[in-house]
Amino acid sequence: MLKYILRRIILSIPVLLGVSIVSFMIISLAPGDFLDSYRLNPAVNAEQVKLLEKNFGLDKSPVVQYLLWLRNMLRGEWGQSFTYQIPVWDLIWRRVGATLLLSITTFIFTWGIGIPLGIYAALHQYSLGDQIAAVVGFIGLSIPNFFFALLFLFFAAKTGGKIFPVGGYISLDYDSFPAWKKFLDIVWHVLGPMITLGTSGLAGTMRIMRGQLLDELKQDYVEFARAKGMPENVVIYKHALRNAINPIITALGFSISGLLGGAVLTENVFGWPGMGQLIIEALLQQDIFVIMADIMLVSVLLVVGNLIADILLAAVDPRVRLRLG
Amino acid sequence: MKKFLVLLLVFVSALAVFAEEVDWAIEDVAGKPGGTLFLDTTSGPKTMNPAWAQETSSTEIIRWVLDTLVHSSNKGLAELPGLAKEFSAEVREDGKTVYTYVLRKGLKWSDGMPLTIDDVIWSFEKIWFDANMTANGNGAYLDSNNELPTIVKVDDYTVQFVYNTKFRRGHESIGWTEILPKHVLEPYYEEGRFQEAWSLAELDKVVASGPFVLKEYKEGVRVVLEKNPYYYRKDKNGVQLPYLDQIIYIIVKDLNTGRLKFEAGETDIYAPTAEEFPEIRAMAEEKGWVVRQGGPNLGSNFVTFNFNAKDPVKRKWFRNEHFRRAVAYAIDKQTLIDVLYNGLGAPLYGPVSPSSGYYNPEVENLGFRYSLARAKKELRDGGFVLKGGKLYDADGNQVKFELTTNAGNNVREEIGNILKENLSKLGIEVNFAPMQFNALVGKLVSTGDWEAIIIGLTGSVDPASGWNVWRLDGGLHFWNYSPEIKPDMFTEEMKADYWVPDFEKRIDEIMRLQVSAVDKDELRKLLDEFQMLVAENQIVVYTVAQNYLVAYKNIVHVYNPEPNPAAGVLWSGWNIWKDQ
Repeated sequence: MLKYILRRIILSIPVLLGVSIVSFMIISLAPGDFLDSYRLNPAVNAEQVKLLEKNFGLDKSPVVQYLLWLRNMLRGEWGQSFTYQIPVWDLIWRRVGATLLLSITTFIFTWGIGIPLGIYAALHQYSLGDQIAAVVGFIGLSIPNFFFALLFLFFAAKTGGKIFPVGGYISLDYDSFPAWKKFLDIVWHVLGPMITLGTSGLAGTMRIMRGQLLDELKQDYVEFARAKGMPENVVIYKHALRNAINPIITALGFSISGLLGGAVLTENVFGWPGMGQLIIEALLQQDIFVIMADIMLVSVLLVVGNLIADILLAAVDPRVRLRLG
Repeated sequence: MKKFLVLLLVFVSALAVFAEEVDWAIEDVAGKPGGTLFLDTTSGPKTMNPAWAQETSSTEIIRWVLDTLVHSSNKGLAELPGLAKEFSAEVREDGKTVYTYVLRKGLKWSDGMPLTIDDVIWSFEKIWFDANMTANGNGAYLDSNNELPTIVKVDDYTVQFVYNTKFRRGHESIGWTEILPKHVLEPYYEEGRFQEAWSLAELDKVVASGPFVLKEYKEGVRVVLEKNPYYYRKDKNGVQLPYLDQIIYIIVKDLNTGRLKFEAGETDIYAPTAEEFPEIRAMAEEKGWVVRQGGPNLGSNFVTFNFNAKDPVKRKWFRNEHFRRAVAYAIDKQTLIDVLYNGLGAPLYGPVSPSSGYYNPEVENLGFRYSLARAKKELRDGGFVLKGGKLYDADGNQVKFELTTNAGNNVREEIGNILKENLSKLGIEVNFAPMQFNALVGKLVSTGDWEAIIIGLTGSVDPASGWNVWRLDGGLHFWNYSPEIKPDMFTEEMKADYWVPDFEKRIDEIMRLQVSAVDKDELRKLLDEFQMLVAENQIVVYTVAQNYLVAYKNIVHVYNPEPNPAAGVLWSGWNIWKDQ
């Protein structure tokens, strides 16, 4: 197992290198650079733009820029943001907390409700409960996130911000709250974006869970276990469910890379100070090192997420374990 | 020994008390102290370093925190005292211009350290006058010979900036520059990392000279500013200003959310879009809001043609002033104002906004109102012929060209669509193709590979701050760059064909002369002439601008009697107070 993990890690190095080359190439191919807004500013003259080009290293060819970036990266320096004039890592680090909070709560929301609901729907196929869950799930899936978010905020504003807050991360008088209330305040604020983001994932998780479980319940071994007189609960939860959960765990691998990706539209509408906002701004301003750092971070998480998913799969599925061994 | 120390301590504290004597600025206002003002912004500051801050999201916060020698009036002119209690400009007999600033006594930074003449001198000498130390460079401080002034320390409170030539923009450039705390920033300068000073990682190091201190900044969430206890202003009852205890900027990325927050009462002031304005106005009475409208914004959108287009035939049309005038007649400004700004805008006829004190209303009398008949007449005068619904030039070439702008700016896209439509009525075929902003800038300032563009530049009250656009050697003289400035744009054939009309030469001359026009009347005359030259020849065809729009709760007492684009609703913010 350890050998397998090690091999996977070594194999991921060329992948990450490839990702960095391709992304840097695409960024360089895009017209213009960070200094374009300076070029159209009547207060900045041409000599000054040249000076800044030199200071920012934008006068060098893309290949040289890439090699410099790679060298710095290997030394653990991710470069400086042009806009903020601070190390990129600092900048991202400041946003990680809010993003993680949102993605983890959303994750718990989608899976915590989606999986039990899927199981319930499968066990009560075509019942009223199954139908209602399906309808609600699909409504959530079909409303675009940003629209859902606006509806949510509209509702919050019309009710005077008493039931739900009108977006934001903390209340106006947050500073005067005792610690427990601060915590509750943030939880209260995360509800909106969490529900918005979660509703779309919910239907998916629920439907996959339902379908998988239904498939498994039709298998011969289930019939066999039942015929042997095994209690129904053991048949379902110990045997069928364990096999049915397989694709959900695979999906988990991908969701780990999504943890830091953020949800740009939802974050913007709710004023959630996550990484999504940061990255969009960086893209618009062509703040290359910030973009590169984000791409690399997400790629690393994708690699790690897949690894974790595989390990988890091995834990639940003996067939996988045998293959890896 | 101990006794001596005690004595020394007494002596020093006596000195400190003596030094407490402050030259207070007394404001003619009687409000009530206390309270918090809630504002919204789409983005927080990127840095608090005034030399590197570019976006208004940063500069707006910096303006509360760092003070300048001179303040602007509510018309946007540099004529009110700030850190300097007195200031003057004088042209000496030897032709040198001397700007004198007398600093107030007893000024302090928010950390309690005295703000002295050394801070002023250090700020200019080490930072602002060094192009390497600032993002915008030192162009604003250069006189007509591209020389910086020499700094003379007259006494402990007086400093002079001496130019070798006549120079008129001193109070705007020097007076409006933020004074930096030497005691805090010098170490950064010495270590060669001034650029990183007061970045997001070091906001706790920011000290203030302005009415407010940066207390807290949660990225993407909010900016909290707190009253500076050492601010040098008092109201007429002797209450130290600012009145407000705090200003909190709530960061709202999405404009719809911003409005919802204002409606829910979470923010006090809101800048509605023209589209929202009637609705906000309708709700105002019930909600207890004050709704106001000021003059048109200082920036503007305009159409411009490449005098050095790659195609020699097109070059000829674009250089033909009759052609450009015809385009000016074909822009239906009223419809644009109605469609884009709900009627809350103004037509522009020249390079200066009607909101500016330098505006020359004569440009309106030239009569470039929407009229296809006049446009047709101009085209005939220019040697163009309409045949079978299509327009041809004197040599028989059909008139068609490419028009572009940056995609995503719906004001510019709408202007483009209406213009295309109206020009087709004149038989001109326009291919309107918006493109990505960076690609557009590339074409505009480096390859020169474009025909016609709709674009805008930030404006200001003083038209001469746009010298970079108007001078023949300017970095943004994009419709007619000289081959010396942009050799890459020109082939040999184009170099031979480079042409500068007389009005461009005169404008170039005016832009050089105005730098030394210390006399107000002389300056006025030059700038009036400049505006007329641009408008008559339609070098750049101006379109429309939106009016300044704002709504605020009636419990907020703003100080500016007439908020406008040059001095908004937050002007002299230390005098703003709020009913509790």
